[in-house]
Amino acid sequence: MQVERIKFERTGGFAGMRIATDLKLDDLSDDQAQTISELLDDLDFGELPEQMMNEEGMPDQFTYTITVETKKWEHTVVTGDVSAPEKMQELLQLLNRLARTHKKQ
Amino acid sequence: MHKHFPVNCIVPPHMLKNIATNGTNRQKMLAIDTLKLSAQMRGQRQALAEFATATFRVAVGGRERVVYDAKNGSSLPGTIARKEGDGATADVTVNEAYDGSGYTYDLYNNVYQRNSIDGSGMRLDSTVHYRVGYDNAFWNGEQMVYGDGDENLPVSERLFNRFTISLDVIGHELTHGVTQFEAKLTYSQQPGALNESMSDVFGSLVKQYHLQQTSGEADWLIGQGLLTENVKGVALRSMKAPGTAYDDPVLGKDPQPAHMKDYVNTINDNGGVHINSGIPNHAFYVVATELGGFAWEKAGQIWYVTLKDKLTANSKFQDCANMTYQAAADLFGAGSIEQQAVKKGWTEVGITVGGVEPPPDGGGGCLEALLRLIGAAPAKG
Repeated sequence: MQVERIKFERTGGFAGMRIATDLKLDDLSDDQAQTISELLDDLDFGELPEQMMNEEGMPDQFTYTITVETKKWEHTVVTGDVSAPEKMQELLQLLNRLARTHKKQ
Repeated sequence: MHKHFPVNCIVPPHMLKNIATNGTNRQKMLAIDTLKLSAQMRGQRQALAEFATATFRVAVGGRERVVYDAKNGSSLPGTIARKEGDGATADVTVNEAYDGSGYTYDLYNNVYQRNSIDGSGMRLDSTVHYRVGYDNAFWNGEQMVYGDGDENLPVSERLFNRFTISLDVIGHELTHGVTQFEAKLTYSQQPGALNESMSDVFGSLVKQYHLQQTSGEADWLIGQGLLTENVKGVALRSMKAPGTAYDDPVLGKDPQPAHMKDYVNTINDNGGVHINSGIPNHAFYVVATELGGFAWEKAGQIWYVTLKDKLTANSKFQDCANMTYQAAADLFGAGSIEQQAVKKGWTEVGITVGGVEPPPDGGGGCLEALLRLIGAAPAKG
């Protein structure tokens, strides 16, 4: 898939802090853009269910909302710490870090 | 909103006791409240004392802890790193989780006669080193889970230390377990903020009890030590002064309100459960400091009884105010200094307690009360 843009938001958690970022892949370094594209391909992101939350009775977990835009489609997935597939962890960590870095700007 | 019903009326105690035994949970709660209030108003101190005893479970077993190591993975619980009776390990995180869950057990057992999370000696399981760069801790319905903060980032970028570093965080997570077995507060909007507040209240009390601090000596912070020196802030939350724990270019400003006029309406964070908890948190702080001495003794007792016997899944702030006011009367007497302190605490955050006096129309109110107890009349809003 040809990813153009990715929006990420993390809310909740023990600290109750919201962090978010809105990234155009063109603005990222080639390495970062390639890594994100590969991680999304690997997840087959466009085919993931929109709601991947099963955190009932599990206080203090994070809620993640990821929106990916390509030339052809836009898809949003909402997930949580326990519900997120293991394959998604690297993507979540990367977006988390990018959200912090970009917030400083 | 939950109302207390008149009690000096025609409903015989045995009928109330039947309802207390056989009714739905809500009917049971109302009947028990009515019986308690009835006994108190008739001056039956013995009956009241029996009820007070019955509301506390007797500790029958000792504390049992196991700390697991997820080794930066996500499988729970992980590998056993230390179990009850083992000596300290070389891993400070493992030891903090072990000691902290022990101190939490001690508060509940020694002060509130509660034998562990479920009241029946449930083993306290913790997993540390969960995932990589996981700046969080949570309760998964069965155990505590702790991340190491930002250990994967360069030191200059780190914002969070390991989550076991704050004893109140450990007490907070275990209290989610207590709430799960008692009030079962829904994790959304005001019931969710009460759920969070109960965890902060008892999390702070675990720390205060361990350090044997009076309400004047305590820092009333949640997560003190958790933020690195890169962050402009002292903790994640302040019960003494909600909204002042941090103000940082990266993390933003502590969003907690201390008063209903600043209540935050949001879809994030399950409706702001970690934000609006500042309101009941501050009410507890005011009550505890009004009463002075050790906060776990009186204010904590009132809040514990409320969590255990009065709050239900959908309780809101106003319900909690009324229920703590009632609990103060149950424990210390109507009009007592303790009850007045509870009233003041809620007033300072913009909530007026409903009072416990029966309405003047005793007989009619009584019939209505019975009808409501058996579900034949709509509850008053």
